[in-house]
Amino acid sequence: MSTRRLLIAACGFWLVLWLPPARSALESDMALHMALQMPLLIVLGVLLAAAARHDEPRWLASADWLGIPGIVAVVLGTSFWMLPLALDQAIADFRFDLVKFLTLPILVGMPLGLSWRRMPPLGRAFIWANFIPKLGAVGGLYLGAPTRLCAYYRIDQQELAGWTLIAVAIALGITWFIAAFIGWTPSCAQQASRHSAEGAGRQRAFGGASAA
Amino acid sequence: MTMAVTAGRTGRTAISPRAAVLAYLAVAGVVFLLMMLLGLTMRLAQAQWIDVPPNFFYVVMTMHGAGMVGIAGLSSAAVMWHFVRRHDPVSTAVFLTNLVFFLIGAVLILGAGFIGGFGAAWTFLFPLPAHSGGLWSVNAAASYLIGLIFIGVGFLLLHLDIARGILSKYHGLGAALGVKQAFGLAPAEAGPPPAVTASTMALIANILGIVVGAAVLVISLVNLYVPSFTFNTLAAKNLIYYFGHTFINVTIYMAVIAVYEILPVYSHRKWKTNWAFYLAWVLSTVFVLTVYTHHLLMDFAMPTWTLVAGQVISWLSGLPVLLVTAFGTLTVVYRSGLRWNPAAALVFLGVAGWAIGVIPAIADGTIAVNSVMHNTQWVPGHFHTYLLLGMVAMVLGFMTYLTNPQPRYGFAWLGYWLYLVGGVIFVIAFLLAGAASVPRRYAVHVAQWLPYDRIGSIGAALAIAGVLILVVRFFVGMRTAVLAEDPIG
Repeated sequence: MSTRRLLIAACGFWLVLWLPPARSALESDMALHMALQMPLLIVLGVLLAAAARHDEPRWLASADWLGIPGIVAVVLGTSFWMLPLALDQAIADFRFDLVKFLTLPILVGMPLGLSWRRMPPLGRAFIWANFIPKLGAVGGLYLGAPTRLCAYYRIDQQELAGWTLIAVAIALGITWFIAAFIGWTPSCAQQASRHSAEGAGRQRAFGGASAA
Repeated sequence: MTMAVTAGRTGRTAISPRAAVLAYLAVAGVVFLLMMLLGLTMRLAQAQWIDVPPNFFYVVMTMHGAGMVGIAGLSSAAVMWHFVRRHDPVSTAVFLTNLVFFLIGAVLILGAGFIGGFGAAWTFLFPLPAHSGGLWSVNAAASYLIGLIFIGVGFLLLHLDIARGILSKYHGLGAALGVKQAFGLAPAEAGPPPAVTASTMALIANILGIVVGAAVLVISLVNLYVPSFTFNTLAAKNLIYYFGHTFINVTIYMAVIAVYEILPVYSHRKWKTNWAFYLAWVLSTVFVLTVYTHHLLMDFAMPTWTLVAGQVISWLSGLPVLLVTAFGTLTVVYRSGLRWNPAAALVFLGVAGWAIGVIPAIADGTIAVNSVMHNTQWVPGHFHTYLLLGMVAMVLGFMTYLTNPQPRYGFAWLGYWLYLVGGVIFVIAFLLAGAASVPRRYAVHVAQWLPYDRIGSIGAALAIAGVLILVVRFFVGMRTAVLAEDPIG
């Protein structure tokens, strides 16, 4: 798909998610809000990154050393939007919701799309290995909370969200394991590996690999 | 100590892989000795030969358990890394990062115990860390849990890096484990070397275990500071043992690489792999990941099928790899003309200690036996057999192998025999006490139990003297070992 078409598709996708029918439906339930709407917004950002990749300023690519700054932004962004207070504010105030609709694609999805490819395989694996238990722990905390954590969601919705996050964590863990076991690598990751191979010097700085 | 410092291609200085392995082993030697002294302190207190306040006994017990589990992991990781890097590209920087994380974690854990008084046992079973009865503070418990997280993060990085190295060559963990060879889909001769197969099993089990452990550690931490956040205690126990059992169990599978690599050097026979070898490792990978429920045989609320599975898998778990390893060891050694030296003897002893220790372990993994024996000294009896006389023997063999290729072994033989005789007395005292229903984890013992404690204390003291000799010998040999070539080419 051309860059222009990709950009139009991403903007259209964003608009559909923002318009009341989809937005109200996805934000009416805590599990849908956390496990569907937010990931969709992040995917949207990844699409934008694919469109913007060729026009990425050289200074930005250089500053994003091994993809670490970008991935730190992703971790901070996703952590923030897992907080109950952030979910509540997004429902209470449409301006705050707009912030979510802008930050998740731009400050999470785009850095993910751009920085992931720059990150060495060890870094990527480490991020996965941290993200999966984080999802599980947050899900467990939603289940273990003595009261409602969000003013806008019922306790049963909170429980469902907790189980959903745990299920997503298990599904991601199993998928990751199977992929490593059979040696499946997505084509974009193969491309990324070639990129990292080109920057072998940089990788060595991350931990010079050597065989005897 | 002189560290071998080499200039990297980037112009920065870097510690050589061999020096890094020796650094691991130096830390391991010191920590093993310190933790053994803590163990001896407990036995002497139970024997009523020294006076240790009960509160402090549980601090010592917690530190001994956590320290031993951690150092077992660290030392066996050194064995694994040393040999796997002959076959796959792995990072020395990541290897050293693990050591740094381990040391930070160890400081936090020791601080939690000896400064903060944390004594909830190394298993930190939820919600005990938050219910100290005034014996330790929330901060002390948090320090312990954060220390574990540091150690877990270090090991996670190390295993992920080894996985990266293995995947770059084998393009799949299944291929590196030898799945095709196990099921006759590819010739065994084309299979991965034993060190790669064992490392693959270890990294699969430990990565999954650490990921699960991280989740329950975070939940426990939140519970410490916000006690109203609770979690299902049985679920937490499952998660903790999934992580804890896997971690300590895998130490043996990492250390056993020393047997595959060191014995052939001295016997001049190659360690042959065949379909049975690969099948054993594939099966043990599955069993290690599913056997942990044998720690919950006394939890009546567990679904019955999980306990039955725990029993059956316990019977099977260690056997495949143990059988192929024990058989392989005998075939490598038998009529090979091997001239015994302490390094070969220690790794050989390691296989024997593992094989013998599995027998009381299998007995304890049987529900009918477990309901009687689980809270007795039978349990420390069986795990000390295959850890002290199995895993630790393999690591000591590796330390001896690396630091003295010269045949001047008199001092080391003395250490070997003290360690062996003392270790055997020590574990038999535990097992006999367990058979007599002496409870474990009691700070104060009644008069009828004292003979077991006193014999066990004598055995422990002898074993420590033996290990001290072997460790001192290791430190003496380190200077030359840093720059030496391996006995294997």
